Amino acid sequence: MAPISEASHLLNPLATSLQLETSASQLDGVPKDVEDSVRFETARLVQAAGILLRLPQEIIAQAIVTLQRFWTGPDGGSLLEHDSKDVAAAALYLTAKPSPYPISPRQVLTSFEYLSSLQPGQLSSTSIEGKLDSSWHLSDGEYEIARNKLYDIESHILRVVGFQTHVALPHTLCINYLQTLDVFQSADGSMVAKTAFAHLNSALLSPQLIYLTHQPSAIATAAIYLAAKEVGVKMPEVEWWEVFDLDREELGFLVVALRSIEGFALEHQRTFGKRAVPMTVPDLQVEIERSRMLEAGG
Amino acid sequence: MTSRWADTEEDAAEDARRKAEKAERKRLKAEKQRRAEEEAQLRAAAAAKNDTSNGPEYDHERPSKRRRLSHDHIPTTHEEERKLLRFDAPGWQPCRSVERFDRLNHIEEGSYGFVSRAKEEATGEIVAIKKLKLDAARDGGFPVTALREIQTLRAARHRHVVDLREVVVGGSGTGDVYLVMEFLEHDLKTLQEDMDEPFLPSEVKTLLLQLGSAVEFLHDHWILHRDLKTSNILMNNQGEIKLADFGMARFCRDPAPANLTQLVVTLWYRSPELLLGTSSYDSAIDMWSIGCVFGELLTKKSLLQGKNEVDQLSKIFELCGIPTEDTWPGFKRLPNARSLRLPSNSSTAQGSIVRSRFPTLTNAGASLLSSLLSLDPTKRPSAKEMLQDPYFQQDPRPKPTAMFPTFPSKAGQEKRRRQASPNAPIRGAAPGLQGDMDFSSIFKGREEEERGGGFQLKVV
Repeated sequence: MAPISEASHLLNPLATSLQLETSASQLDGVPKDVEDSVRFETARLVQAAGILLRLPQEIIAQAIVTLQRFWTGPDGGSLLEHDSKDVAAAALYLTAKPSPYPISPRQVLTSFEYLSSLQPGQLSSTSIEGKLDSSWHLSDGEYEIARNKLYDIESHILRVVGFQTHVALPHTLCINYLQTLDVFQSADGSMVAKTAFAHLNSALLSPQLIYLTHQPSAIATAAIYLAAKEVGVKMPEVEWWEVFDLDREELGFLVVALRSIEGFALEHQRTFGKRAVPMTVPDLQVEIERSRMLEAGG
Repeated sequence: MTSRWADTEEDAAEDARRKAEKAERKRLKAEKQRRAEEEAQLRAAAAAKNDTSNGPEYDHERPSKRRRLSHDHIPTTHEEERKLLRFDAPGWQPCRSVERFDRLNHIEEGSYGFVSRAKEEATGEIVAIKKLKLDAARDGGFPVTALREIQTLRAARHRHVVDLREVVVGGSGTGDVYLVMEFLEHDLKTLQEDMDEPFLPSEVKTLLLQLGSAVEFLHDHWILHRDLKTSNILMNNQGEIKLADFGMARFCRDPAPANLTQLVVTLWYRSPELLLGTSSYDSAIDMWSIGCVFGELLTKKSLLQGKNEVDQLSKIFELCGIPTEDTWPGFKRLPNARSLRLPSNSSTAQGSIVRSRFPTLTNAGASLLSSLLSLDPTKRPSAKEMLQDPYFQQDPRPKPTAMFPTFPSKAGQEKRRRQASPNAPIRGAAPGLQGDMDFSSIFKGREEEERGGGFQLKVV
């Protein structure tokens, strides 16, 4: 069958193998594992800020994918160029802007300021929502500086990703596929959907960047496969994933990728423990130095 | 029930049935194969007989027969390779520099940027380059309108939509952003100004069909253009038109979001519901604009040239009649309708005078134009419906684009003069939803008007 080449709102631009080989950060001397950790943490920060700002998951996910595009490839942005927390704020601001849920610079900057004031480890606690009281805010001077930086980084992101801000998400396809498979007829159907969605959202944090390497239809199919296995809902005894244009090999790759995120997150937690993940350029430089010394010592 | 796909008794029965079917198929297949073999043997025997009787002819025939035989023996493949859909995804790369282009001449200055004709150094191709007006402090960073223009143009790859080739940036530090688009020789507005006669009816049909197909595509892809007008419709020397200037465009949804700005669409092409301040509208606003373009193509003159919002609405009512609760249910609840003082005897509704204003238009044409210019947005046809209209099937048939006359290009040769028509509204200048717009004067002095010349509001 001829490949579909017309621009479709269901398709994402994908990273080339050249872009996946290395990154501007690695060329700048950031070790791969530190880079993975910082990118993981930044994605979590966007997720937390998005929840604070009551943005739909759609916007949050699109912001995280835009962020991933920005940091990918030798021509991408480097973690040593701008503080990664500022880049995260700009990505969220930029994504929300043309959507039906725009946020003001003050909203986004205030919520990121609040989140970066939290103790390490507090980010994951579910109780952060609602703690943001109105008395907590940036001073006018601080705000103005931060806002100008936000605009600068926004424009930098747009240039680096060549204004490619279109992000198609697998979430609606996932529901559509589950309906096609009649999964909702079973008692555990909605549990499968919830588990699949959890995988789709966790995958946003994956250092394997599957949102940059696979189309939404493929990611949705793999999430359904894994969720059905985990919940114990039986699927057709045929190669049903081929209906959604995914072959067995890719399915296997994606399922392994989805399952590996938990292990990566635990490893990340072990590495940093109570230590804060470096989210600014100076902190990152300290971390790079530290890991260099550890390597030399060990 | 645990799953649609779990085993049940029914499934077991179904399995048994399937197994039986399979066995039957297998048996039939074996049977067929056996028969084929028998036949082959027979044929071989016959051939052998032939061989002994007349040799040369047999030599000639044998290969084709053999081949046919061998085909019969290939078992019908059960597990044929399934073809999976593969997607040809684009990638992304950092913006390239505008320095790769030589600027040739200035074309136009719109409210969103300067457009010039340029040549790409490497390929020699002629393109149009639009420099975006950026002011981070004013726009809250990169302007949302420019973001939407880029996103919607990228999503709208269509024969009759101008092709956005890439986004390039100025030298480091300048912060300038340029859109590189395909270059077309004309826009319909400037072209019409230089024509002695309006387009022929057959040409109008072709132009409308092209415009309609572009708008149908946009609406199918959840895009509202929100600034359709003749100066945004470009045309090349092959009679092909392409829709341009997506500075007002945005993605929409159904139902429409409730907080849309009503300050869209250039005044002369703006629909009555927008003028009355609706903040929830849909693709019908584009269809109204198409109606205005239709009227303009027929006469070479803009159809409704209001001096301001109030005048525009009054001109609309002159042409299309005064709305009533019957002809446009719910219009009185629109924000700006409060200040609207309709004639007291509005029970005697004013009819549309579209038909009499275009005496040379066929009945089908007049009824299409009237329906596009329905005051009630829900009564306007969709772009898809418009393309099916009998008007396009009747004589004179739409003229093939190749038969279009060619014109000297202003954009290609010389600087254009500024036109005395209003620009698209400027974002941020939106009037408040209520109260700001005072339409109370629309029907003031109607009595004098009735006696005067020009269009009249007939009150029976």
